[in-house]
Amino acid sequence: MKTTLIATTALLSLTAFPALSQTVGISIPAATHGWAGALNFHADRTVTRLQEANPDMTFVLTTTSDPGQQVSDLEDMVATRNIDALVVLPFESEPLTGPIQRIAESGVWVTVVDRGLSQEGIENLYVAGDNDSFGRTAGQYFADTLEDGAKVVVMRGIASTVDNERVAGFEAALEGSGIEVLAMDHGNWNRDTAFNLMQDWLARFPEIDAVWAADDDMAVGALAAIDQAGRTEDMFVVGGAGMKEMVQRIQNNDPTVPVNVTYPPAMISTAIEMTVLGLTSGAPLSGEFIIASELITPENAADYYFEDSPY
Amino acid sequence: MSGAILALEGVTKSFGPIEVLHGVDFALHPGEVHALIGENGAGKSTTMKILAGYLDPTGGRVTFEGKPITFTGSDQAEDLGIVMIHQEFNLAEHLSIDQNVFLGRELKRGLLLDHKAMRVRTAELLSRLECRADPGAQVSRISVPDKQMVEIAKALSRKARVLIMDEPTAVLTEKETEILFRQIERLREEGVAILYTSHKLGEVKRIADRVTVLRDGVMVRSDRTADVTEDDMATAMVGRELSDLFPPKITAHGEPILVAESITVPGIVHDASLTLHKGEVLGIGGLVGSGRTELAEAIAGLRPRQGTVRLNGAELPAGQVAQAMRAGLAYLTEDRKGAGLLLEKTLRENLTLPLLETFGRPLIDHKREEAALDRAIADFAIKAPDRGMAVGDLSGGNQQKLLLAKTLLSDPQVVIIDEPTRGIDIGTKQQIYSLIAQLAAEGRSIIVISSEMPELIGLASRVVVMHAGRIAGELSGDAVTERGIVGLAMGMDGSSKDHAA
Amino acid sequence: MTTATNTLTRRPRVNLTVIAPLVALLVLIGIGMALNPNFLSWANITNVLARSAFIGIIAIGMTFVITAGGLDLSVGSMAAFVAGLMILSMNMLTESMGPGLPVIFAGIAIALATGLAAGFINGILITRAGIEAFILTLGTMGIYRSLVTWLADGGTLSLGFEMREMYRPVYYSGVAGIAWPIIVFAVLAILGEITMRHTAFGRHCAAIGSNEKVARYSSVAVLRVRLATYVLLGVLVGIAVVMYVPRLGSASATTGLLWELEAIAAVIIGGTLLKGGFGRVWGTVVGVLILSLIGNLLNLTDFVSPYLNGAIQGVVIILAVVLQRNTGAAR
Repeated sequence: MKTTLIATTALLSLTAFPALSQTVGISIPAATHGWAGALNFHADRTVTRLQEANPDMTFVLTTTSDPGQQVSDLEDMVATRNIDALVVLPFESEPLTGPIQRIAESGVWVTVVDRGLSQEGIENLYVAGDNDSFGRTAGQYFADTLEDGAKVVVMRGIASTVDNERVAGFEAALEGSGIEVLAMDHGNWNRDTAFNLMQDWLARFPEIDAVWAADDDMAVGALAAIDQAGRTEDMFVVGGAGMKEMVQRIQNNDPTVPVNVTYPPAMISTAIEMTVLGLTSGAPLSGEFIIASELITPENAADYYFEDSPY
Repeated sequence: MSGAILALEGVTKSFGPIEVLHGVDFALHPGEVHALIGENGAGKSTTMKILAGYLDPTGGRVTFEGKPITFTGSDQAEDLGIVMIHQEFNLAEHLSIDQNVFLGRELKRGLLLDHKAMRVRTAELLSRLECRADPGAQVSRISVPDKQMVEIAKALSRKARVLIMDEPTAVLTEKETEILFRQIERLREEGVAILYTSHKLGEVKRIADRVTVLRDGVMVRSDRTADVTEDDMATAMVGRELSDLFPPKITAHGEPILVAESITVPGIVHDASLTLHKGEVLGIGGLVGSGRTELAEAIAGLRPRQGTVRLNGAELPAGQVAQAMRAGLAYLTEDRKGAGLLLEKTLRENLTLPLLETFGRPLIDHKREEAALDRAIADFAIKAPDRGMAVGDLSGGNQQKLLLAKTLLSDPQVVIIDEPTRGIDIGTKQQIYSLIAQLAAEGRSIIVISSEMPELIGLASRVVVMHAGRIAGELSGDAVTERGIVGLAMGMDGSSKDHAA
Repeated sequence: MTTATNTLTRRPRVNLTVIAPLVALLVLIGIGMALNPNFLSWANITNVLARSAFIGIIAIGMTFVITAGGLDLSVGSMAAFVAGLMILSMNMLTESMGPGLPVIFAGIAIALATGLAAGFINGILITRAGIEAFILTLGTMGIYRSLVTWLADGGTLSLGFEMREMYRPVYYSGVAGIAWPIIVFAVLAILGEITMRHTAFGRHCAAIGSNEKVARYSSVAVLRVRLATYVLLGVLVGIAVVMYVPRLGSASATTGLLWELEAIAAVIIGGTLLKGGFGRVWGTVVGVLILSLIGNLLNLTDFVSPYLNGAIQGVVIILAVVLQRNTGAAR
């Protein structure tokens, strides 16, 4: 998080530099769920802001709903828009590695966001959240607060590398704590699916002490089901990614929603800003920027509440 | 005569508990045209399907070249040279003619299709049949008689040794029928065994060497055609003496009831006018494709049109079937299966479809529907083994009677009947003819469209003949003759219009 | 002949084609009872029925569309769009009118009107402009999905807190322990079944789906009836949304995802012919319950890997349909 702030400050001081007519391509997944929606929101806002600051610079923003389309988008960008730099959040690692590698080899600056490529050393800049830390932070909170023998259920996202890393981190943190995971299933980062799943778990298990929903959209669904069953007092729910609504409940000391774990969608802003900074300043920022997940507690919740974010 | 190539010996066939063939003996010989005739439901179709391998006999046996055989399916029969031409066309509508002719046995060059060879072969076959359709034309775009010719070309291309034809002339004009007969004669000379069915006894007399009559699943007689008359055949089919086929005509008519003026259907019908009087039976003749059906459909509100139609002095708007029906005009389609009846629905659902609203609103009263069906079954002598059965399983004659019942349900003053007896046996034909006369006697007015000359002559006191989309002329009284109608239909300039009754 | 056939009129014909979906449902219930004692608990039954209601209500309308030979792929997206619009306008009305029952009634009216309008647009384009239903609704599916994403700015539209609390009982409470969605679903199912079997409209749908030309020649107002099926479906989507919104009080780009396919699957499992010509609403209800029960059963057990949920659903769908087709193939 600190890195972001530094980069942003640095950029703002540099926007007065003589503008160059360069083109930046940005390719991110479409807004199919809350977090991706926020990602789009931040990308859009950043592009608008940078466009004003650099009128001669061209930004090409595309959103895709599957890996195949993303490959086509990237090809179009190189072929028809002649981009100088690319900021890409790969839909999936494997299928995008080859195409991005070819773009990097052609001399285009490549910034990869969040989802790493399957081969190292392709990208110039890597900005990412830390999925292992995302799961581990939640798991650590469970291990710290729950007693030996406590029963929890785990709601996973869409089956993917991201989801696997998060769950692995969570499980590693629980190790040796004596906490029993009753069930683990995919809520697909979807409110309705999570609601149905939670209803069924509540019917199946008479005792549940805590729920880890690996995303706040799912947490919303789970909370509604728990509320319906009248078992709000019996358990708490930890979501993730810092949705406005959740942060607010933490601020209000809601016992059902004691904490949350960050996975800031604003990382896309960081990535775009750093890329543009590299182009305009002539002193490119390369390397890796890993933004670790942090625990939102009632004490620090105010820092994570963004009034106008859609998420 | 040489031995039979394909024969049935004591064959029985049951569908569920109902036996429809009761021990049929039947043989086809090379170089012989054998006609199989009988009323609808007599078991002709079943017999043909057993011969062609579509159905297995329940009892008895099928022999091929003297040896008993059990077909695994129609494809095995086809491999042996037994080809059946179905009454309902078996053509892929969206493929071209040559693609249809060679469907399933495409000519290939290496792995790829040899389009050129197939097109050339098809062109040869079509020219032998004197059919002028383009081999590359899509089947859905060619006329009904041409489709029949394509079916025949398909059979010819399969080097048939036994050719089974289910009413091939039902949709053909007399000229086309003549061409078909020449082909049949040629095949006969080549030693092909031909089974031929038709409701047109004159044709049977003309083309067949031998005729076998089926009645209610029993073979009632089998003779050399030369030894029997058409009357003999009809009597054998019906099982009783047929009185005069056509009831007496009523010649005294009332006021004009339906007046159609300058009807034009773009590209099909041009400036056609006609007048129908109360209690009259008016015939419309002409070749298939002359615009008869389209004129009738335009009058009935089923097609966009120009020109005016007045019923009882009130104008009927174009393209409004429901309104025409409410005003008292009903049209019975020639396309029984495609536009007349819902084949997979029951009798009741078909009967009440046009007037469903009158059987209770908002909920339909099933009892009233059943009562209406009871009346229809009684009034029109519909024979249905089971009231809950699908209409598609009824015989053609019973379907036609149901369609008549459905059309007359709205109690229309004017009824247009397009091809009243297509594909129907002679017994049912007679029933339908007397029904038409009865309708006229009740003071209703009827237009009969038909390709069968005797039908027009026997029923109508006045006949309008169409040619190429125009009214070519009108005949009435004694001038209604076969020669008169044919002359006008072929576009010959006749002065017959002036003939008085 | 007439008298002889009359005795055959009402022969009861019980065959597998008719009861196949019911058999499949009973088998699933049997499996559920064997696997988990909580399966038949009141809470679980209520849960399953209530969550079936949305797709169930939509599937009732879909039964009419499919019976008349049509198809509507846009219903899932339409539901999301209607829900989004409803939430957005309720939030705006709360600002101007203050929270209260009028806002809820206005929201419901907006949902129903939007559903009706959306169905009307689909129907009019299919019947008057003559666009293939599959392609047209595929197009509107994308349009409605984008519109809701746009309305929500890529995120989630949430109903204001006060209104959410006030509207909540529409999903969660009911009469005599039966939740409102279940009641509404049941009432609509009964009305739908009566409409299909006993009204001219239902019969006309079947006639058009069976053979459009015959229907036209029988003076059935083909275009009007077909249009009416899409409008009816749109209104039912509106009703489903009215039941859906109070559950989580939100709508997003993922709301109603794949509902169209679930609804179509339920209709076909229930014995309605995909090519049209025959439809039955009670079968559709059974189909919806089968689909919900599969999900429920899989959540109640660790029997199969969650990765295989889709496969199990697929197998059951195919089996239910095969069972009917095999015995019905005689015709």
